[in-house]
Amino acid sequence: MSIEPFNRLVKLAARAFYDDYTTKGDNQQKIGRSDNRGMAVVILDALTRRQWVREEDLAKDLKIHTKQLRRTLRFFEEEKLVTRDHRKETAKGAKLYTAAVAATTEVHHGKEGDDKVKLHTHSYCCLDYAQIYDVVRYRLQRMRKKLRDESEGKNTIQEYVCPNCGRRYNALDALRLVSMEDEFFHCENCNGELVAESDKLSVPEGGDADDNARRRRREKIKDMLQKMDTQLKPLIEQLNLVKDIPIPEFGNLLAWEARASAAGRAGNGSNSNDPSKSSQGYGGVPLLYLGETKVEVAFSGVDGKEEDAKSVSAGVGLKVLPPWMIKQGMNLTEEQRGEVKQESKMDGSSSSGFSDDKKTVSEDDEKKSLQDEYARAYYAAILEQQAALEAANKQQEVLETSDLNGPYESSPQRQVGMKFKREDNEGDDDVDWEEAPLGGESSNWVFVLAKKTVALSVLVLSEKEVPLLASNETSESYRVHDLNEEAKATPEDEDDDIDWEEG
Amino acid sequence: MFFHIVLERNMQLHPRHFGRNLRDNLVSKLMKDVEGTCSGKHGFVVAITGIENVGKGLIRDGTGFVTFPVKYQCVVFRPFKGEILEAVVTMVNKMGFFAEAGPVQIFVSNHLIPDDMEFQSGDMPNYTTSDGSIKIQKDSEVRLKIIGTRVDATEIFCIGTIKDDFLGVINDPTA
Repeated sequence: MSIEPFNRLVKLAARAFYDDYTTKGDNQQKIGRSDNRGMAVVILDALTRRQWVREEDLAKDLKIHTKQLRRTLRFFEEEKLVTRDHRKETAKGAKLYTAAVAATTEVHHGKEGDDKVKLHTHSYCCLDYAQIYDVVRYRLQRMRKKLRDESEGKNTIQEYVCPNCGRRYNALDALRLVSMEDEFFHCENCNGELVAESDKLSVPEGGDADDNARRRRREKIKDMLQKMDTQLKPLIEQLNLVKDIPIPEFGNLLAWEARASAAGRAGNGSNSNDPSKSSQGYGGVPLLYLGETKVEVAFSGVDGKEEDAKSVSAGVGLKVLPPWMIKQGMNLTEEQRGEVKQESKMDGSSSSGFSDDKKTVSEDDEKKSLQDEYARAYYAAILEQQAALEAANKQQEVLETSDLNGPYESSPQRQVGMKFKREDNEGDDDVDWEEAPLGGESSNWVFVLAKKTVALSVLVLSEKEVPLLASNETSESYRVHDLNEEAKATPEDEDDDIDWEEG
Repeated sequence: MFFHIVLERNMQLHPRHFGRNLRDNLVSKLMKDVEGTCSGKHGFVVAITGIENVGKGLIRDGTGFVTFPVKYQCVVFRPFKGEILEAVVTMVNKMGFFAEAGPVQIFVSNHLIPDDMEFQSGDMPNYTTSDGSIKIQKDSEVRLKIIGTRVDATEIFCIGTIKDDFLGVINDPTA
């Protein structure tokens, strides 16, 4: 993201100098509805919020015609406010590397040989802050000079224009323009008579030699100068603020894309499809804008894009993993097993629990393994007491599991809710339920936090034997997601009159 | 403005000039070549005042010519922006008038001629005030201020104004 003072400078300059820019020609009528003066300001403002952006996308975002946008951008390019880059790319969905390669190598192959690979020219644009700073200063300097020259009694060099071909000449060219026949200057091309360009700012009052006229003119110019100073004061102040700050530099389009895609890839470790996904050619950048469940890592090459770092929001939630994707030892949450999310409150608490976990994952691992064993033993005991003490046990379990689970306060509640449905195998359910959350704590982080290599190691190490889904059968809502899970051969099971269902 | 500076030039001399008067020949050739010319960098060379030194001659391959690097002192004239000069009017035009200040030509456009002076055509076109007191015509002397110079490789051309204080006609030939 560029530094704020520069954006402010751009905005001030846009409003000062370009607020009457219109894409309509001078002859066209500017009726109320179709009058688009001020378009330039809108576009410049939009560009302050983006870096390298494709022009089609910008047009879509701003809801203006591509052609209008292009005309305006062309105008800006001439004013040196914006840099543009046009390159040939395959259509949407193309991989970045193809685009980069195609741009640098022979494009012909792609165009002629291959039917499917059609190369369209895409245009990108970006604000050029260094130039903007210089251009604004130059503009101000020229304005002041012009006014000063006019007020000082015109020590200016006369300009001549040919009415036929429109060619402009300076008084310095007068020597070669003077004609022998008559007393006028003649154009070099068309031999038309040149017309002198009259005073631009203060209208000459028809050869009036009056001192008054001259004084009036001088005062008018002084007024103009003063007005200019007061109206442009904020802009000038902003210029002064900005002159000491280093200028934000985005570099050329390819360099920027490379950086952005590298940053994006670093931020989304498992998401190796970034370049291909970014049909917009941003690399990982669109993900930044979505700002969802991504962790943005401050990559060394990237300027400041990852300022809003490490905020993991479980807003989107995790995908439900299909059964065939689940391998033994994968740490999954109930969500990923496709369980119903009960209340947002639960999610909120669990997610807050998650974010706490992030930091203490490594410590929890050890605790977890101990807890697992404890749980196993505990559940075995519970199973024995099924029938009689279900209710009391359940509560105890809830309490204990909540202790065990730490952050997973919500899960016991969940289980409690579910267990209420059945009276039979509540205890059994407990067994399985507890295992999952305990084991599955850091699974989410594996996919999201590339940085947390600890999490990765946890995944590798945690090949715990998930104790059998002894009690899967019972609740219909409960499904076996881990096909590797085996039923533990416990004596109690045989006694059960429950039908085992392998999901 | 006039300057007295040291310039250097490589002079080629034909063998027929060799002999006792080699140096004299060299100097006269130099003067003939350089005086009156103009370089964009230094201005117009008005006169050579002396020879500082003459280097060793180098015989060119193929021809018998010999090249001597010569350092010489000379007076040059170079006009600058903002300078005030006296000049002599050479041509009067509807668009202004041309004047010469020595080797340099200056053009004053009518835009920079005081508003009270009108152009009057005729066989002696001139600019004259409404009361006829001041006239600018061919061969009048005029003091003007240079507001712009155009420097080519071998030519300098200026634009002037007489619209400021103390500028204008100095000496009227007809009066």
